[in-house]
Amino acid sequence: MIRKPQMLQRKEWLTFLFHRHNAHLASFHTFSNYRCIWIISIIILAVTSLSPLVMATFINQRLIQQAVDAELVLQTERVTSNAKRSMRFFLEERLNALRFIVNELPYYALIDNAHLGEILRNLKLGFGGFTDLSIIDADGSQVAYAGPFNLEGKNYKTQPWFTKSIESDNFISEVFTGYRDVPHIIIAVRSINALGRLFILRATLDTQRLMDTLLSYKTNVHTDIFLMNHAGVLQTPSSTYGKIFTPTHLGIPEFSTTTNVIPPENKSDHAFITGYSYIITEAVSTPFILLVNKEKSVVMGTWLNLGRTFNWIISISCLVMMIIITLVSTFMVNKLYLADKAKAETMMKMEQSQQLACIGQLSAGIAHEINNPLALINETAGYLKDLYHFADEHQNDQEIMEHLDDILEAVSRCGTITSQLLGFVRQFDVQTSNVDVEKLITGILNFHKKETEYKGIHITTDIAPDTPAIETDRGKLQQILLNLINNAFQAIEANGCLDITVSHLSPDHIFIEIKDTGCGIPEENLKRIHEPFFSTKKEKKGTGLGLSITYGLVKKLQGNIRVESSEGVGTIFTVTLPVKMKKEDKA
Amino acid sequence: MKIILVDDEKKFVNMLAKRLSLRKLNADVAYSGEEAVEKAARIPYDLAVLDLKMPGISGFALKRKLLEMLPEIKLIFVTGHGAIDKNGNHDHSDDIFLAKPLNIDTLIKTIHQTIHPDKQ
Repeated sequence: MIRKPQMLQRKEWLTFLFHRHNAHLASFHTFSNYRCIWIISIIILAVTSLSPLVMATFINQRLIQQAVDAELVLQTERVTSNAKRSMRFFLEERLNALRFIVNELPYYALIDNAHLGEILRNLKLGFGGFTDLSIIDADGSQVAYAGPFNLEGKNYKTQPWFTKSIESDNFISEVFTGYRDVPHIIIAVRSINALGRLFILRATLDTQRLMDTLLSYKTNVHTDIFLMNHAGVLQTPSSTYGKIFTPTHLGIPEFSTTTNVIPPENKSDHAFITGYSYIITEAVSTPFILLVNKEKSVVMGTWLNLGRTFNWIISISCLVMMIIITLVSTFMVNKLYLADKAKAETMMKMEQSQQLACIGQLSAGIAHEINNPLALINETAGYLKDLYHFADEHQNDQEIMEHLDDILEAVSRCGTITSQLLGFVRQFDVQTSNVDVEKLITGILNFHKKETEYKGIHITTDIAPDTPAIETDRGKLQQILLNLINNAFQAIEANGCLDITVSHLSPDHIFIEIKDTGCGIPEENLKRIHEPFFSTKKEKKGTGLGLSITYGLVKKLQGNIRVESSEGVGTIFTVTLPVKMKKEDKA
Repeated sequence: MKIILVDDEKKFVNMLAKRLSLRKLNADVAYSGEEAVEKAARIPYDLAVLDLKMPGISGFALKRKLLEMLPEIKLIFVTGHGAIDKNGNHDHSDDIFLAKPLNIDTLIKTIHQTIHPDKQ
């Protein structure tokens, strides 16, 4: 049968996985393990189609990551560097202003409080950020003061900033509260008065101004810019670490005169990138370290989100591809299996028919060879019988006559067997012609006319008038009907009935029903009646080949034979034949 | 009525001739097609019983030759190739076929039917 695509029904899916193993059929298959082919094909397809995708994604991910990191480093570096420059400028500018004052004005002008106040006012106007000014002599005592706090006459000898500032030309202090409880920075320049004594011009800077400058570099809330001293204590408030003077417990970064960026240590998106720079003015180094902290996830959020979205899309498409690959592989392997199975079945049928053909040829050869000596035995025995019969003298010798009859009987049985064996050969080629079933049946019944009359069998034939002439093999159909009618005759006792009905119920088939009122077939034998050499006709008549050949012939004519029987009542054989034989099964 | 039996099995055909003669049917024998043609040239046979398969001229070839010589001759074929072959060979469906081994009574009945088809 040719399998059409639409015939691949749901139950035929996965047949290659759940088929019953038939060792004989399997020996004709091209491939033995379909499960293995299935799995291999899925793996190969998946690896070849998915691995470039996965690799591309991985590389892309890495590139994005690197680009993000590089961009972040660059950004941080820029911000840090800019902020550092303006910090340095802020301090340097003020330090230079002080240097200008001490160099320009004589000492006596400086220690004049009113003059100092004037200078302070000008400084505030010109630069801003100055809180007060004072002149401190080498002993640490304040000589002159201008500013809002009344600190005249104080001695700073013990103050750490004083000891440091007296030792060098310029000095910038940390942020501290000092006596006045307000965070401030001291910048001081050292000079020598007309008497050759050292003195210090000290200015206090208000940190607000410094902080404002610093905060102007804070581009968004996720960037933290602050100063800390060399001990890690905050010099300006930090959004990460808290208020001023809070210890940060950060490691003190390695000293460097340039801007540096510490890349994030862990790869997680919440990592911080830190830019730092030691603030060093031209004249003096300061105790400040500028730090810029940026949170990676926030700064590069868009990029990271894009990467994540991309990952999702890739995962979903991988999944979809896997499903498609699995379905396609399953479909193709199943197709392959079905095609292979069909091929194997055809090959098995061919093998069977070849075996049958072999047996047929062998039997026919034997039968033919035996037939000639058999004919000779027949004639010789017949002649002997004739001699006795016609020669009068032995006419009444019953014993000899009986023996001769036995020989003739045996020969006739052999003849039946050989002629049926020869019938096997004729199963193999089908020659179609138009056959009138009615004529055929009438012809066969004529053979049996004598027997019918003798046994008193009542025969009825009912042939539907619309029965068409069917296209089939005349000789084979005749043998089928002859075998069945012979069987019926043998079963029917005296005064029985034989009904032959031919009907044309479906357009493509005709039904021939042969019904007898004979002895019937016991149920246990019904299954076996088509087996070769199965016979219940004891000793004399049967070879056991009749129904087996009939069955083979009906199949050869693409028909079907069905038998119903009840013991003692009778038997019905129904032969269904196609009106027109299909070409493809002729082989 | 003149009958000729043609078969390459000499013993078989002799025996058959003897049995027929016992039944008042005199028959000539020929062991080959060639011999049959020779004999038919001399005697106008009414009926020929031919073996289908013979060395030399086969049964069907012999049929044609005999019909050329004696258009009125009737033919019965005898075959070792199995029973009721009349219908298997639908090309020659006019011919009568009998299977070996022969039943002498069937043969005689067939001979009579062939010679006098009108009588049942």
